[in-house]
Amino acid sequence: MKSSTKRSMLAAALICASAAISGAALAQDKETIAKNRETLMKGQGKDLGSIKAYIDGKGDQAQAEAGAIGLTQSTRKIPDAFPPGSGGPSPDGKFAAKPGIWNDWNKFIDVQKNAVSKADVLLAAVKSGNKATIETAFSDLGKNGCGACHETFREKLQD
Amino acid sequence: MSRDVPRETARLTAAFAAISLVLGGLAARAEDGDLVARGAYLATAAGCADCHTDAKNGGRPYAGGRALTTPFGTFYAPNITPDMVTGIGQWSDVQFLNALREGVRPDGSNFFPVFPYPSFTKITDGDVRAIKAYLFAQPAVRQANRAHDVAFPFSWRFLLSGWKVLFFNPGPFRPAPDRGETYNRGAYLVTALAHCGECHTPRNWFGAMEPSRFLAGTPHGPDGKAVPNITPNQETGIGKWSDDDIEALLKDGQTPDFDFVGGAMAEVVKNTARLTDADRRAIAAFLRSVTAVPSSR
Repeated sequence: MKSSTKRSMLAAALICASAAISGAALAQDKETIAKNRETLMKGQGKDLGSIKAYIDGKGDQAQAEAGAIGLTQSTRKIPDAFPPGSGGPSPDGKFAAKPGIWNDWNKFIDVQKNAVSKADVLLAAVKSGNKATIETAFSDLGKNGCGACHETFREKLQD
Repeated sequence: MSRDVPRETARLTAAFAAISLVLGGLAARAEDGDLVARGAYLATAAGCADCHTDAKNGGRPYAGGRALTTPFGTFYAPNITPDMVTGIGQWSDVQFLNALREGVRPDGSNFFPVFPYPSFTKITDGDVRAIKAYLFAQPAVRQANRAHDVAFPFSWRFLLSGWKVLFFNPGPFRPAPDRGETYNRGAYLVTALAHCGECHTPRNWFGAMEPSRFLAGTPHGPDGKAVPNITPNQETGIGKWSDDDIEALLKDGQTPDFDFVGGAMAEVVKNTARLTDADRRAIAAFLRSVTAVPSSR
C-alpha cells in the first residue's frame, strides 16, 4: 500500500474515532444537563414544600425563609439549565423540554424573569411572617411562575 | 275653578304605569344580569372558552377556530359568539338546549362527540339557559367556522346516529339520594359541567368513553397527550392524595410533590381556580369516592 493511501486511511479512521468520541461526549453532556435540570426543579419543589409547611403550621419560619432564598437563586439559574440543543425527555421519561424554549427563547426568558420576580416577592412575604401574604405569593409563583412555564414549554410524555 | 279630577287621575295612573314599567324593566334587567353572572360561572366551570377560543393564534374569545387533534382527525371548534351569521346568534333556547343535551345541531344533524355532549346531557335546564344568557351577552365576532379535517368514514355525519344509539346515554343528572349534598354537587361538576371524563377516561375504538374505566387515564388523550388516572387507585391513581391535595391542584395546579401542572391541565386550572372553595371541595369529595381503577398501559 502506498504510504499516502495509508496516511489518508489513518486520517479517516482518526476522524471517525474522534467523531464517535465527541458524539458520546455530547450524549453524556445531554444526560448530565437533563439530570442537573431535574435536580434544580426537584430542589425548587422541596423549597416550596418548606414554605407550604410553614403556611400550614407544620414547619418553622427559618426553614421557609431558607426555601424562599433557594427559590430566588434557583429561578435565576433556569436559563443556564437549558443550553441550546438540550431538548428531549427528562431522566425519568415523564416530561420533555419542548423545542419552543429555543425557538422562542425571548418568550421563555420573559416567563423565567416573571418567576424570578415572583420568587423575590415570596421571599419578602416569608420574611414578613404574614401567612395570608405568603399564601398569595406562594400561589402566584406556583401557578403563574412555574405553571406558566410548564404550560407552554414542558411536554408531558407519560403520567 | 273646578279641578279636573278624572284627568288628574289619568295622569297619575299614567305616571304610575310608567314608573312600574321602568321598575319592571329594571327588575327584568337585574334578573338577566343575575342569569348572565350565573352563566359566567357555569361557563367557567365548563371551560367553554378553552376549546372555543383559538388563544394560541390570538383568536377572539368564543369565536372558535382552535384545532383539536384526535385519532379520528382534526376538529376545529365552532364560533359560539352571538354573531347572527357565523355564530349562534339565531339559535333559540330550544336549539341551544338540544345542542348541549342531545348533541343535535339546529339543522337536525348530529354533532361529533368531540363536543362533550355525552357529559353536557346531564346539565340542568336552568344551567343551560344561564350559559346561553352568558354567551349571548358576549361580543359577537364575525368569523366563519373552519371545516373539520376528518378522514372517511368518520367524516360522514349521518353515521353518528348509529354511534349515538350505541354509545350516547342522554338524560339529566340524577343525584344519589343516599349521598350528601357535597358528593352530589361534586358528581354534577365532574360528570356534567366540567366534563372531566372527556379527557381522563379512555375511549374505545369508536371514540366513546369506556364507562368501566371512568377517570382511569389514558396514554392517548387529546392531541395525543398522556392523561393521568384520577381514580383513587393507590398505585397508579391519586389514592394517596388527601382532599387538600386535590383542592391545591384545582386551585393552583400544585401537585403533592410541589410540581405545577402544565399542558392542557394548566388551562383547566385557570377555570377551576375561579370556582368557589365549596365547589373545589365537592369535586375532591366526589373524586375520592369513584371506583379505583388501575391504569392500563
